[in-house]
Amino acid sequence: MTGLPAAPAGEAPIVSAHPVDRRYAGLATRIVSAVVDAALITVVDVVVGVGAALILSLLHIPHELRTILAVIGALVFALGSILYFVIFWCTTGQTPGARVMQIRVVSAGAARVKPRWAVVRCIGVLLAALPLFAGFVPILFDSRRRGFQDWLAHTTVVEAPGLSIADVSRAKQRAIRAASRQQPPPTGGVA
Amino acid sequence: MGLGTRAATATLRPIVGVAGAAAEAGLDLERRAVNRVLESDEIERVVVVAINSVHIQAALKQALESDGAAQLIDTLFDSGLLDRFFERLLASESLWNMIDEIAGSPAVTAAISQQGLGFADQVGDQVRDRSRKADDWMERAARRLIGRQPRVLPAEPDASS
Repeated sequence: MTGLPAAPAGEAPIVSAHPVDRRYAGLATRIVSAVVDAALITVVDVVVGVGAALILSLLHIPHELRTILAVIGALVFALGSILYFVIFWCTTGQTPGARVMQIRVVSAGAARVKPRWAVVRCIGVLLAALPLFAGFVPILFDSRRRGFQDWLAHTTVVEAPGLSIADVSRAKQRAIRAASRQQPPPTGGVA
Repeated sequence: MGLGTRAATATLRPIVGVAGAAAEAGLDLERRAVNRVLESDEIERVVVVAINSVHIQAALKQALESDGAAQLIDTLFDSGLLDRFFERLLASESLWNMIDEIAGSPAVTAAISQQGLGFADQVGDQVRDRSRKADDWMERAARRLIGRQPRVLPAEPDASS
């Protein structure tokens, strides 16, 4: 097996650049991550959809227009879901689900995923899911646990242990306490 | 007032003055002595020695283990004093104001939210751990199915690193 190509010039690797040091996320971890993301997207979609439906119910809209609005709504939801993944993959490399599972999508050389490759990966996920999810089966056999979408977008999904939300909250509290201790006490007396 | 009384008063006046001055001086001396003792390290040393004293500790232990101490506790509870104390305490408006203040304080709310996050953390750790094991198990099973060698996994990252 050959290593990944180095990160492009000027881009620091966001995980270990040595493929041997990395642990690639497997199918079960990625499924759990996807379930968390799907739940999050569904909750947002339901809230927005119900809100929009309630507002539209107040208006007398013709049947034809309702159909057009439904199509527009479906397109907006699809676009929103794609944007959700694309934005998270090309910014932090972690969707909220991936953050919970402490995994990260990285590009060649452990660099951040570029937006166009994030879009390609999104399309890859859809294509992998179409033939009864057969596109995800290679994750079980590939040496770097890559699925069809990873192969298409030249990405890998690696484990990215980090501070948990509780740890981050604790660190914040400590910082606030330290800052309040460093502040000089208010001086009394008449000026 | 008779002549005799006036004569006695005039005679005793210097003596009373001297006695008063002597008493005043004595009190002043006593105050200074007490202050010096309190300001010195001697009191602290005496207290420490007394607490560390084997005899005092043995005496305390004996007193606490005695029947008298048990009876004293029984008497305290039987007297209804504690019941009355708690009744009054619970009826007190100040107590509930204090509880409201504590419950609404940022430190307490932060502690409660920390506890919630800590629990979420534990659940997350468990899910991650189990999913990692499932990853490896599924991969091994799939590779066994097609007769391929299991993949050599890199070592678990050291927690201290």
